[in-house]
Amino acid sequence: MNIVVAIKHIPSIADDLPVKGNNVDFDSVDFVLNEFDEQSIEQAVLVKEATGGTVTVVGVDMIGELDGVLHLALAKGADKAVKITGDDPAADSHQQAKWLAEAIKGMSPNIVFAGVQASNDLDGQIGPMIAAHLDMPYIGGVSSVEVAGDTATVNKEFAGGFGAKYAVSLPMVVGVQASTKPPRYAPISKVRQVAQTATIEKVAPSGESSARLTMKKMAPPVVTGHAEMFTGSSKEVAAKIVDLLKSKGLA
Amino acid sequence: MLTTIERIVFVVLALTSVGFTIHGIKTIVDSVRKGRSAPEVKNIPASLVKAGIAVLFQRTIFRTRKILSTIHLGLFFGLITYAFVNLVDILEGFIPGFDLVYGGKHPAFPFLNSGIINTFNLIADVMSGALLFSVTVFLVRRFIVKDKQLTYRENILLNPKVKAGGQNKDSLIVGTFVILHVAARLMGQAFRLTDGADAFTPIASFLNGIFGASQTGVHVAWWVSLCWVLYILPYITRSKHTHFTVGPVNLGLAKQNPRGQLDPAVPAGVRATRTSPIPEPGAKFLHDLSWKRILDSYACVQCNRCQEVCPANFYGRPLSPSALEVNKRYLIKEATFGSHPERLLLPLTETVISAEAVWACTTCHACVSICPVGNEPMADIIDIRRRLIIDGAEIDSGVQNALQSLATNGNWMNKGKRLRGRWAKELEFPVKNASEEQVDYLWFVGDTASFDERVVPNTKIVARIFNEAGLDFGIMYQNESNAGNDVRRVGEEGLFEQLVEQNMGAFGKAQFKKIVTTDPHSFNTLKNEYPQFGGKFDVTHYTSVLVKLFDEGKLTVKNKLSNYQVTFHDPCYLGRYNGEFTAPRKLLEMVGVKFNEMPRNCETSFCCGAGGGQIWNGKVAPGERPAENRIKEALTTFDKNPSDKKLLFIVTCPKDMIMYSDAVKTTGKEGKIEVRDLIQLIAEAVGLEMPLEAEAVASAA
Ligand SMILES: Cc1cc2nc3c(=O)[nH]c(=O)nc-3n(C[C@@H](O)[C@H](O)[C@H](O)COP(=O)(O)OP(=O)(O)OC[C@H]3O[C@@H](n4cnc5c(N)ncnc54)[C@H](O)[C@@H]3O)c2cc1C
Ligand code: SF4
Ligand code: SF4
Repeated sequence: MNIVVAIKHIPSIADDLPVKGNNVDFDSVDFVLNEFDEQSIEQAVLVKEATGGTVTVVGVDMIGELDGVLHLALAKGADKAVKITGDDPAADSHQQAKWLAEAIKGMSPNIVFAGVQASNDLDGQIGPMIAAHLDMPYIGGVSSVEVAGDTATVNKEFAGGFGAKYAVSLPMVVGVQASTKPPRYAPISKVRQVAQTATIEKVAPSGESSARLTMKKMAPPVVTGHAEMFTGSSKEVAAKIVDLLKSKGLA
Repeated sequence: MLTTIERIVFVVLALTSVGFTIHGIKTIVDSVRKGRSAPEVKNIPASLVKAGIAVLFQRTIFRTRKILSTIHLGLFFGLITYAFVNLVDILEGFIPGFDLVYGGKHPAFPFLNSGIINTFNLIADVMSGALLFSVTVFLVRRFIVKDKQLTYRENILLNPKVKAGGQNKDSLIVGTFVILHVAARLMGQAFRLTDGADAFTPIASFLNGIFGASQTGVHVAWWVSLCWVLYILPYITRSKHTHFTVGPVNLGLAKQNPRGQLDPAVPAGVRATRTSPIPEPGAKFLHDLSWKRILDSYACVQCNRCQEVCPANFYGRPLSPSALEVNKRYLIKEATFGSHPERLLLPLTETVISAEAVWACTTCHACVSICPVGNEPMADIIDIRRRLIIDGAEIDSGVQNALQSLATNGNWMNKGKRLRGRWAKELEFPVKNASEEQVDYLWFVGDTASFDERVVPNTKIVARIFNEAGLDFGIMYQNESNAGNDVRRVGEEGLFEQLVEQNMGAFGKAQFKKIVTTDPHSFNTLKNEYPQFGGKFDVTHYTSVLVKLFDEGKLTVKNKLSNYQVTFHDPCYLGRYNGEFTAPRKLLEMVGVKFNEMPRNCETSFCCGAGGGQIWNGKVAPGERPAENRIKEALTTFDKNPSDKKLLFIVTCPKDMIMYSDAVKTTGKEGKIEVRDLIQLIAEAVGLEMPLEAEAVASAA
């Protein structure tokens, strides 16, 4: 079974996001693995552990820092890592999907996993577009995958807590919302050991970047006033609220 | 005394017994040698002598259970006496004319005057009584009173043999041996007294009054008494009573490095292999443990002192440090003397301690500190964690999130690095950046004090006090990472090393003379573990810095806080680990509060339950939490010293602030007792002027 996982690294939002020019200041922000991709890596490794095969992780290296998340994926149980040397932070989803599909085609995949979305651009279309390029069925919002022979049993979640079970014939592309089990922890010694020994296969992007979306401006959220926290015992807080309402002429 | 045939029979029996005993000892040595390497024990003869003296005075067992320990004296000195008594008896059997009872002239042994003989007999007689008394007490305790201290809670993993009462069987056999052996020996002494009572053997004389004298009796008693010894010697090498001899040896070989310095995750000599490209840290199987941890199991008295002080055990978690040692012992016994060598190939989490128990340990060190024979159950637990982590075992989601955040952000709270020093920017004065300018004191703030909004106000007070006292200090802002104390104790050695590297890099860029910490956990690892990574710094806790500032007159008490009655909780990593008990108490004395000590204080302080990564746990187990119990302990202490003062529970650790404030709420004691950091008292006592953050609220409205 050839399992491919498309993974993406995105700016960490643990910090205030620094904006420079018309985009995030990529130089002063940490990059982390997209959280849905953590789920899809786990789901891929679970499928491999159940049925055998290899897991290949692939991503577009947009700012030359992808190795970190590829190593993380290898430490979590992926077997091979491939990076597309896109090196173009402005490449849009269409462009990236094309590059990814091109690279994945040669891997003769039985299953391609993608996260259901990445929190930096909130497009959610890379998975479907890869499926379109490869002419495979796509199923998104998935919360578990089990494989038996040529068919996968897939659970998908809908709004309002509804769930459905699908049978999908392989090969297929899956957009993962959550894996069957919570993602495993990758011990740092393993990540570091992988970082020292693993080889990452490099693939040149097919064709020129031809982004048709251009970001004009990015703005941090506008602060419109601030909240005051009342402290003290419940009685004191209540008194302060009453005072405040009185001072505004509301009580 | 013996006929030639008797002599031959005795020698044959003795050789058989010694043979089995040597086999037993060899089995112990072989099992211990299979363990992995441990840090070198330096100056072994001297430390063995030191341990011997400690054992002779029974110092280590008197750390707790004073009454039982006193009774144990009878056993201890009784058995030592009996080693000599048996030797003398054997000599008597084999050397014609050698006997110590009559005090007569021994032409062949001129040194044996009646003074020596009478003294010997008196000691032997009295110690016989002491032995009988103490063994009876211990048997009654185990079998009639059924002391709870000797049992394990239902949810604790136990070897099937232990569950079936293996320890009781052991105790019964050895207890019965002592009684019958001593009784036989006493009867022998009684039968010898052909002239009636002897003032130097009161008990034997009493028995003589009942049974009279008999030469045959002496003979029979000699055989009964010594045959018991021949039986029990090899038995002891196969029972929990190995502690008679291994206990003192183990104490002599006990850890010499600081308490706060864990043994390396990968012992010296362990290398990477093709199947495990990372040299395997910690322990999955018994023989992954260091030889010392295996020796621990032979040394274990199975007294459960450790279980008694374990906060996780108190909390109802399935953890018992003594069960861990006992299970190890039975596992080895099954493999060596039993028919289950294959059980050694099962993971320790199936044979010795459940995974749930492994993750329940707070690494408070109480079990290690209390153990009379120098065992370190906590070290086993951390080693098992280390391997579970590297093997990708499932861990609590909260712990996992914390570790992941530590790996990416350098703190466990999922906060960006750049936000670390934000609190300092909110002060009325600038706080130096030690990465950019020279300072005397580099203040290592720690995660909780930097980010947790419940603790940050106290962090600011510390800064204001330092500022007030004119202390030249600075912080490293975003260059500081979590020091890694608890990361290491969760077993994530790789992440610990990464954090150490990050901090060492930051220290390298900073210019400072000393490090001061507000967090005992950071304090511990910076002080005791960073030196192993080349970080040899002068590290102090803020309480000792404050004492110094008062002593130098840079801070003065302006207001005596006589309106407060307080107690103080020793944080594990400041007190038990690093022996700093006096600085906080000295400060409390200076500020003039009424101080009451809780029963569990200093070395025996009771853990708040947060350490070793427990504070990260996503799931909260049911049951009374250690911190809740501690609040009750404080209130009971105050009840015994009633006053109309305001009651305060004083802490000096950011994690304690969180744990205990929470415990006051969950026990419904709000309004009765308040948790405060010592620094808040200092601020009040020195009359620190502070912008009241509450006032800002009023003005905004
Ligand atoms: C059915 C549905 C329900 C939704 N529900 C919600 C909701 O409840 N709340 C909410 O906030 N939003 C929701 N969204 C998000 C929606 O608003 C966004 O339009 C969209 O899903 C966000 O996708 P994205 O930009 O992150 O996608 P993409 O950037 O296209 O990423 C999706 C995945 O593609 C792969 N990938 C992308 N780029 C790369 C690369 N360069 N290299 C390798 N792999 C890559 C990764 O696996 C990634 O996880 C939902 C979207 C859908 C489709
Ligand atoms: S270190 Fe503390 S919590 Fe852990 S086993 Fe020992 S006593 Fe229990
Ligand atoms: S480990 Fe130490 S304290 Fe615990 S039962 Fe054994 S001897 Fe007693």
